[in-house]
Amino acid sequence: MATPGICDSANLNGGQKLAVKYFIVAITLFGAQVLFGMLAGLQYLYPDFLYGVLDFSVNRMVHINALVVWMLYGFLGSVYWLLEEESQHEVVGLKLGNLIFWVLTAAVTVVVLVYLFVQIGPGKESSIWLINEGREYIEAPRWADIGIVVSVLVVFFNVAATFSKGRYTGIAGVLVLDMLALFGIYLAGMFYTTNISIDQYWWWWVIHLWVEATWEVMVACIMAYGLMKVLGVRRKIVETWLYIEVALMFGSGILGLGHHYFWIGTPEYWFSIGGFFSALEPIPLVAMVVHAVFDAGARHAKNSNHPTMAWLIAHAFGNFFGAGVWGFMHTLPQINLYTHGTQWSASHGHLAFFGAYATIIIAMFYLAVQKWRGDVWMSGELPGNGWKWKWSLGLLNLGMVGMTMSMLVSGYVQSQIERAIEGSSWIGYFAAQGHPWFVQGMWWRELFGVMFTLGFVLLVWDLMTIGRGEKRVLVPAALDE
Amino acid sequence: MIEPASLSDFFTIFFASAMVILLGALYALLFAYARIRTVRWLMPLAYLSYAGLFVSTLVLAQAANLLSHPLWATVVGCMLLGYLLAPHGIWHLCVGTHARAETVPAKSS
Amino acid sequence: MSTDQWWASESFWRKTAIWVTGGSFVVLMLLTMDTISQISVGTTRVPAYSVINHRIEYKFDEQRRVQVPVIGAKEPLFGKELNEEEAEALVKLGKLTTQSKNCMNCHTLLGNGAYYAPDLTKAWLDQYWGTKEIREEQMLAFIKDPSDKLHNSMGRRMPKLDITDEEARGVVAFLKWMSSIDTNGFPYNFKSIEQEK
Repeated sequence: MATPGICDSANLNGGQKLAVKYFIVAITLFGAQVLFGMLAGLQYLYPDFLYGVLDFSVNRMVHINALVVWMLYGFLGSVYWLLEEESQHEVVGLKLGNLIFWVLTAAVTVVVLVYLFVQIGPGKESSIWLINEGREYIEAPRWADIGIVVSVLVVFFNVAATFSKGRYTGIAGVLVLDMLALFGIYLAGMFYTTNISIDQYWWWWVIHLWVEATWEVMVACIMAYGLMKVLGVRRKIVETWLYIEVALMFGSGILGLGHHYFWIGTPEYWFSIGGFFSALEPIPLVAMVVHAVFDAGARHAKNSNHPTMAWLIAHAFGNFFGAGVWGFMHTLPQINLYTHGTQWSASHGHLAFFGAYATIIIAMFYLAVQKWRGDVWMSGELPGNGWKWKWSLGLLNLGMVGMTMSMLVSGYVQSQIERAIEGSSWIGYFAAQGHPWFVQGMWWRELFGVMFTLGFVLLVWDLMTIGRGEKRVLVPAALDE
Repeated sequence: MIEPASLSDFFTIFFASAMVILLGALYALLFAYARIRTVRWLMPLAYLSYAGLFVSTLVLAQAANLLSHPLWATVVGCMLLGYLLAPHGIWHLCVGTHARAETVPAKSS
Repeated sequence: MSTDQWWASESFWRKTAIWVTGGSFVVLMLLTMDTISQISVGTTRVPAYSVINHRIEYKFDEQRRVQVPVIGAKEPLFGKELNEEEAEALVKLGKLTTQSKNCMNCHTLLGNGAYYAPDLTKAWLDQYWGTKEIREEQMLAFIKDPSDKLHNSMGRRMPKLDITDEEARGVVAFLKWMSSIDTNGFPYNFKSIEQEK
């Protein structure tokens, strides 16, 4: 047994060693996301800043691509993290898994370098294959698409095979099918068509069925594992509830796709489908509220990892406000006609991605660090009273809430002036962009962005140091299932 | 198929929709808390939240011109009924699932 | 309390999850097949590429209570009538150009994209281009080099993206064709360029 308090890979099983690599890349990309978001935000205030060098389009592309990729890395890492414990079997193709990790990471690096230094190409299919596909969120050029699909297929088979050889639990079943769906859907975004309506129809399959269906179920699987691990909830209950959540999330989420099909040329029946299922989408959230209260009342939870627990609570609130409240505020077509494609969408996007996904992956980071340092105690009486994790938690969450509120103000002005009054014309667009409220919103967004950035720096510092020198170790009973 | 909202109703719509979700959650929270801790006086507050939700939904429906079209009126009806019953249903599921798996009934805590 | 309700059992919810997911997906597939047939090129919702040979207007429809695109008299783009294949080739060049120049990470198209620059759904009909006589030339010049054309009080400018003559014509063709798509009234209350004689 290694000395507690020091990061030692002897504390981790094979899958977890690989998971840590995924987590390190994930947090690096999180940093890139924050950096390029700040640059793009600054360009709203000083349009000449980096003009012609790193234009807004480039910064924004790196900002959102880093987001997608760091979250996927976070998910893949989380899957590898729980794989051996859940299956009670060694990862069958660990060497291959490692190889694929390096291949994937190399591909991501090349893609980002091309984004930054080549940026654009001529109007030919070769540009789409080699430089940039030019479709929001899935800009990765086609060669990289194919590389990503091959890589994740290997991860998928690795996971499925490990579960098959070991214990095929309920969580395993949901996880494997969800991974298959998640990566299968990516194929819907891998072709060129001149017809922009059909282009965006399939594009939404990828974006929506990821973030409002398969990613949510992925998180539900991670949560299920986490609940057993951190709070010691019984497997039978956890798995039944996993199925309930899957039924609610897929039941409302798959056809909830309709709320993206209001204005892209698609028929009018999508209005009612989108409206109805959007009204249903908060139901899984209501279910979580009731169940969380029930659980908290039914057991006297003790936990040995306060940062993880705090981030899970942040997840519950963030998911509820970001996806639930912010989503429903502008989802009905009667109002979405004015808010679609304004800072409203940006406001909702920021809070929802952070609240629903960033929080849970950060919780996993803390869980990983704890084990990596030999199951050290990470509750009360941390050195300095754990000020680093508490401050980073506060700064990141307040920063995000602040950014969201700022963009909400800007979006409100934009939906009124640009959309309702001027009808999305060029003149109307700039009338709104120059309105004092809009401009102030953009200023506040950048200031809260600084706060968020400080929180991020502190988070990295904390993850590198928390538990260092800690001598107290968890009593094994606290981790008993 | 839809009657776009008018500019003067924007704020009403944003505010009412936010209240629908917030009160929906508050209702669920108070309802569950009242049951688990058997705090009787919380239950009326839970239903008060639902009453607020009911009003918010109608305000939203009015502002977003939902009631003039039968299909959208149905959506409103489903919301009112769905949000009323969802916490009840989920509560029964909680009790049912936990009773099955746990040797110690949940009520004992 | 009873300990054996079927509706609270693991196996019931496993089956429910599978059926709900499968059912939703089947419904989505059926809707997708119907929608794709309605939004293929050459339908009333998404006109053929040769629509660029015609005037396109955006008019209020009393029955639908929103504006809809109306295809009018012959008004060939750049004064040259194209057959279906030529039109498709030109629009394709334009669409490929918008993708390879990453337009979507500043602009929105059909409302999707980034929010740093105006929506392009009805860019062809925008009053910014002045009159319909000079519109095509204005658009070409702007697309090829927008960097010296200040057009707003914030000093926000579009960068020069090395767009060739032919690519610029393609982009204009793509924008003209896109403006003919029936987007259920999006953008609402749009004020179109004067196109009547």
